[in-house]
Amino acid sequence: MNDPLIAATSAAANGLFAQSTRMRVVSENIANADSTGKTAGADPYQRKTVSFESVSDEVSGADLVQVQDISRDEAPFRTEYMPGHPAADAKGYVKMPNVDMLTELSDMREASRSYTANTQVIKQVREIASMTIDLLRTS
Amino acid sequence: MQPMQLFNLAFRQNEWFAQRQAVISSNVANANTPGYKARDVESFDAVMDSSASTSAPMAATDPQHFASSGSDAVRDQNNGDDQAEVLVSGNDVNLEQEFLKSNDVMRGYTLNTQIMKTFDRMLQSATKG
Amino acid sequence: MSLNIAMLSPDIGRAAGSSPLSGLAPTAAPQAAPENDFARTMASMASDALNTLKTGETTAMAGMQGKAPLQQVVQAVMQADQALRTVVAVRDKVVGAYQEISRMQM
Repeated sequence: MNDPLIAATSAAANGLFAQSTRMRVVSENIANADSTGKTAGADPYQRKTVSFESVSDEVSGADLVQVQDISRDEAPFRTEYMPGHPAADAKGYVKMPNVDMLTELSDMREASRSYTANTQVIKQVREIASMTIDLLRTS
Repeated sequence: MQPMQLFNLAFRQNEWFAQRQAVISSNVANANTPGYKARDVESFDAVMDSSASTSAPMAATDPQHFASSGSDAVRDQNNGDDQAEVLVSGNDVNLEQEFLKSNDVMRGYTLNTQIMKTFDRMLQSATKG
Repeated sequence: MSLNIAMLSPDIGRAAGSSPLSGLAPTAAPQAAPENDFARTMASMASDALNTLKTGETTAMAGMQGKAPLQQVVQAVMQADQALRTVVAVRDKVVGAYQEISRMQM
């Protein structure tokens, strides 16, 4: 059975899930943009990244998107000079998370836009299915 | 019977629209997937030329025998197109373009469905009493 | 709901009438060779309609079980509906004409 309308809906639904995972991760990054370690010289919050991959679904014939991995960004931490801070090292420098607010905000915007696009696809498929069934209405 | 040709063609084109919708949906869902290339279906004219699909649907007597009238060929949309913008990630999906395609699908599908409805209504009045 | 395809051609009507469509043979060709074009046309139209109705039934059942694509289901059901309407309309005309003719003989 190969109903393209079902394929379209499942591709969009998977897209919604992937994008919302991405938004969740970005929110986490934003929330922890200033989270330092607790002991002297400790590492702070490390930025998380989401990677997508495309999986071809034989049954429905659609290309489904999946979250491949949620991994840590290996970019180096930036440091700030805060001598009294609990996480300050011997020289008084505190390691700060490698989160750049501008990057995160633009990522969030992009994810939100993709999310909306997927919901619009679902709406359209629903309308198409409804129209098709309506053909059988006699009045 | 003349009306039958119309319905068969309209339904066949609607199947094509539905295939296109599935491909558009895949493109949109993969708008951020690295390396993903946007796809599209072959034009409807090409589909009509290459198959004898204007014939009536098969009279299946066994529910096991079902399949759609064959999937319409899907190809990479921007193959060899120098204008297509490919991002560093290798992804070339353009959401605006997908919206436009989506509109085409909606409009075409609605037109076909309305035409069928009208002809069905005409048939109903012709066969009343 | 019983189908009065029986009235269209006596030979087809001999099959086990009423609702179970599955009881009717898909291509119920008349047993005796039809005498003229009109009877042959009627017979082939009726058998076409029967095929369409059967397809409609099986497709609808498959659709309900999720085994057939939506559009195929709608197409099959719609065409079954149209086939039945057409056949019934023709039957009514034929029966009406026959009745008129028999009235003329009085």
